[in-house]
Amino acid sequence: MAARRVAGGCWQRALWLGLGRRCRLPGGRDGYRSSSSSSALEKTVDNSQVTQEIVLPRRKTWDKLAVLQTLASTVNRDPTAAHYMFQDDPFLMPRNAASARLYSLSKESGRNAAKYIIKNFPQYFDKTFAEPNVPCLMPESLKPQTEGVSEEALRERIHLRMVKESVDMFDQLLQAGTPVSLETTNSLLDLLCFYGGGEPTPEKEQEEKEDLEEPGVNASEQKAPKRQFQRDSQSSGPRWRENNHAERIFKIMPERNAHSYCTMICGMVKHGAYSKAYDMYIDLLNERHKADVHTFNALIRAVPYLKERFAERWELAKEFLTHMAQQKVQPTLLTFNSVLKSLRRCGGVGRAMSLLVLKEMEALDIEPSLASYDHLLAMFYKGADAQSSDIISEVLNEVEKRSFTAQDPDDADFFITAMQVCCDLKDIKLAYQLNKALEKGDNWKFLDVDRLNGYWSKFFSLLCMMEQIEVVLKWYKEMSSSLFYPSPKNILDLLQALDAANQLEVIPSVWEDVKQLGFSRRQDLLEEFLCLMSRDQHPSEIQLAFAKCAEEIKAVHEPAGLGQLPLEWTGSALGHAVVLFSRAGRTQDAWNMMEHFQKISRIPTDKVMDEFLNCAKQTNCPDEAIKMVKLAASLGLMSSQRLKSRIEEEFELSETQKKALESIKWDGDSSDSDSDSDRE
Amino acid sequence: MWGRVRGGGGFGLAARLLGMAARPHGGAQGRTHGRARSKQELFSTSSVLSKDKDKSAASKDSTHEGAAKRKEDGAETPKQQLLDIIGNMKVEVSYKKKLQQLKASESKKQATKKRESLDIEGSVPQGITEDTQRGKPLNPELVKAASAVASSLPCNKKQTVSELLAQLRRHEETTDKQKKGGTINIRNVISEMTVKRQSPAQRGARIFGRISLQLDEDGQRIRRERSSALSMDSRRSLKVGKRLNIFTKASTEQEHALETVSSPTIWDLEFAKEVAAVTAQPPRNGFEEMIQWTKEGILWEFPIDNEVGMDDDAEFHEHIFLEKHLEGFPKEGPIRHFMELVICGLSKNPYLSVKQKVEHIEWFQKYFEEKKELLQEI
Repeated sequence: MAARRVAGGCWQRALWLGLGRRCRLPGGRDGYRSSSSSSALEKTVDNSQVTQEIVLPRRKTWDKLAVLQTLASTVNRDPTAAHYMFQDDPFLMPRNAASARLYSLSKESGRNAAKYIIKNFPQYFDKTFAEPNVPCLMPESLKPQTEGVSEEALRERIHLRMVKESVDMFDQLLQAGTPVSLETTNSLLDLLCFYGGGEPTPEKEQEEKEDLEEPGVNASEQKAPKRQFQRDSQSSGPRWRENNHAERIFKIMPERNAHSYCTMICGMVKHGAYSKAYDMYIDLLNERHKADVHTFNALIRAVPYLKERFAERWELAKEFLTHMAQQKVQPTLLTFNSVLKSLRRCGGVGRAMSLLVLKEMEALDIEPSLASYDHLLAMFYKGADAQSSDIISEVLNEVEKRSFTAQDPDDADFFITAMQVCCDLKDIKLAYQLNKALEKGDNWKFLDVDRLNGYWSKFFSLLCMMEQIEVVLKWYKEMSSSLFYPSPKNILDLLQALDAANQLEVIPSVWEDVKQLGFSRRQDLLEEFLCLMSRDQHPSEIQLAFAKCAEEIKAVHEPAGLGQLPLEWTGSALGHAVVLFSRAGRTQDAWNMMEHFQKISRIPTDKVMDEFLNCAKQTNCPDEAIKMVKLAASLGLMSSQRLKSRIEEEFELSETQKKALESIKWDGDSSDSDSDSDRE
Repeated sequence: MWGRVRGGGGFGLAARLLGMAARPHGGAQGRTHGRARSKQELFSTSSVLSKDKDKSAASKDSTHEGAAKRKEDGAETPKQQLLDIIGNMKVEVSYKKKLQQLKASESKKQATKKRESLDIEGSVPQGITEDTQRGKPLNPELVKAASAVASSLPCNKKQTVSELLAQLRRHEETTDKQKKGGTINIRNVISEMTVKRQSPAQRGARIFGRISLQLDEDGQRIRRERSSALSMDSRRSLKVGKRLNIFTKASTEQEHALETVSSPTIWDLEFAKEVAAVTAQPPRNGFEEMIQWTKEGILWEFPIDNEVGMDDDAEFHEHIFLEKHLEGFPKEGPIRHFMELVICGLSKNPYLSVKQKVEHIEWFQKYFEEKKELLQEI
């Protein structure tokens, strides 16, 4: 701590100097420091007083984050390094998307485990070492302080979100005949409705635990699975059970106000009891209460589940909106986002109406959030019938103009949806525009680790499809591994782009990356690599590099360590490998590959055998050539005769070799005659 | 026919429009081969002309030159006058407005054209001149083109400006009538007649409409006409269209009143957390991590301030420079000397607040005041 303070002192001095010169805002203390500087300052002030009065603040109070934010803004992404969170331990540098996800989740779950221990065993953490104390490192007191049965104790338990205890306490109070105030009952209802009626299941408790954690401490990669989990739990049928505690308490309440109804409706919608929520809303209207804006938002979100037909859904949503206007409830951004979200499930009606909704927002001076645009794009570019790019370009123009803060949980989906649309439209310009918008301000924060990968992988595929190869490779170099981990499909796209641009000499370096990414056992990738490398004849250095790749690919197919099954060769892959080795003049390796044909009972093509013969000729290995003919003969190939005559013509054979060749001839003849008989 | 009209479309926006307007016409006319040729000439010329005009929106001289080339000497002066009139009109309206007008009139154009071709087909065949005249008033470009063509024809050299203008006015009347009443009917007729032929042209028009929909408010009236005339599909833009008209804007005071009443419930808290989680990303570098720690209260705040934790509002100079409190003391002598030592000590004492320091000095002042007599005795 002392060292930090000393360092801080230097900081402070530097800052004061900077402050005095640049900002011309001398604090009260500055004048005391040095008279010369203050007189200089007075001069500047005099000059500017001619134009306008400047009120000098007595003291400049700094935001505690200002310095750090400035410093952070000077740091750019290092295209050669993995994400910052992986830099603690070089051993745990992720190699691909799956391991990145695993590692980040592990890190976060370790943190959560520590928190769990602190929370559950606060008795072991009673020492405060830090001075001043750091509250967020200390266990929170989650034990209710108030003993006994009273409304006070009930309130405390509600505040601590102890669902079961609160319900028990409430029942005890009722049995004792003590009336519980409306306010307390309502907050109990809030609690029960939020957690789905208050039947504590282990699943729910877990969720509760997660919810209790502070969002700031809880870094975000944890959020993605959590959200998924919540989504799953929501989609897995209604969890709102008949006559749960919330309903029971609601029924026995002596008096209910609007809030009681509203929280019931919100809870029912949250937990999938949509028609119940609607009935509750009708009850609320009958009781002549007014619903609040959150309730309407929830109801509008429930619309697709209440009606079957698209037009009816829209009518119902409009009805809710009209009710809002009648009850003088001002709509918020979330209201309109809910409307748009429901319209997503209204087909063509939604498409037509969404624009009206946007106009209404404009008329009410409500700026759309990213979620609004997300819903809009999802509506207009659903399926393959998306043709025109005008809506998305208008949306992007709007997005470009503004900087966004999160206002809706759905905001996070915008960038990935928009990139998907760009990909569907195959419009690289739009994609660049979108990417520019993403880089603006804090917009990057809308992409968490998973979405980031999806976004960049889509963008990269589009680049491969539409861009010049130089540009693609530049992006590839900058993005891969530091920003995202290419998927196997991305690699295939890249290979295709390389093929299209006739830049196959880059393949060996891509192969290196593929090994890094851990895709070296993907059959489809290997096939594509071998196919592209063996297709054309290249200069000898490139052929050598290719042969090296082929050797590594070959190694994958051979039994290596324990527990790793070798990959099965396919006929074409073998052929490609033979061609590659042959062209590089590695006759022995090529022959080894040739032998595999027999093992997996596949037949080499004529091209493969010709290439092999060429190689044997160049390297002057008649033995291998003869062996090849032998192989061809034993496989009963018709071309064996032709190959034999080629050898006789092109090679200088010794006597023994000639004999060997002759001895094959017999086999070849028999096979030839076999095939002849086949023909007849 | 198609190829040539479309080729003209490559020259400029206006020319393309003309090309599109011509398409359905051509489709219908394809049946009456004899007339088609003269029409075709008309349109190809017009597209060339409008290309020239586009190029020189500011200086219309070149237009005249281009037009003049195709004219015979006799008709030159009246033609030029007419072109001047039209040219002036062009200069007055802004380019954007012009585009909108073109766009708006395009549907009318199609309608009139179509009806004309029907008329021609059904009625007694008219002379080529009249045919071209009938096409003229649809828009200035057409007028110009038609006049150029007409002048190039040997039998129409003597046409005067007044004749043309009269013609123009008459057709304006008819288009206005159609705009008010008969548009839909005519559109129905058209759509029934040329379903296949029109669909690509309409798509083109739609795309053009989308491009120009973002133009200024001058064209609002036209836009509304368009939207009522055309189908829903053509209004796929964020900028145009109606609103729901359900809500009215609330005054700000109302909102404030609503906000202050309710206290945050568990719903609000959890929603806030959910929204915060959207943008809570792991730090990208060491500084961002430090920002996160600062927010959590783990890290000492930057810039490090040596007054952190000092509760009294006094500033640093009030702690250090205490001479101003010595005014009640003698200017020199042992008491002064003593007091200077006292404030020197006080100024170095970080544990006392300013108030305590002043009290301390005041105590001495009182003390010396009480002992004044004694001291003086000495």
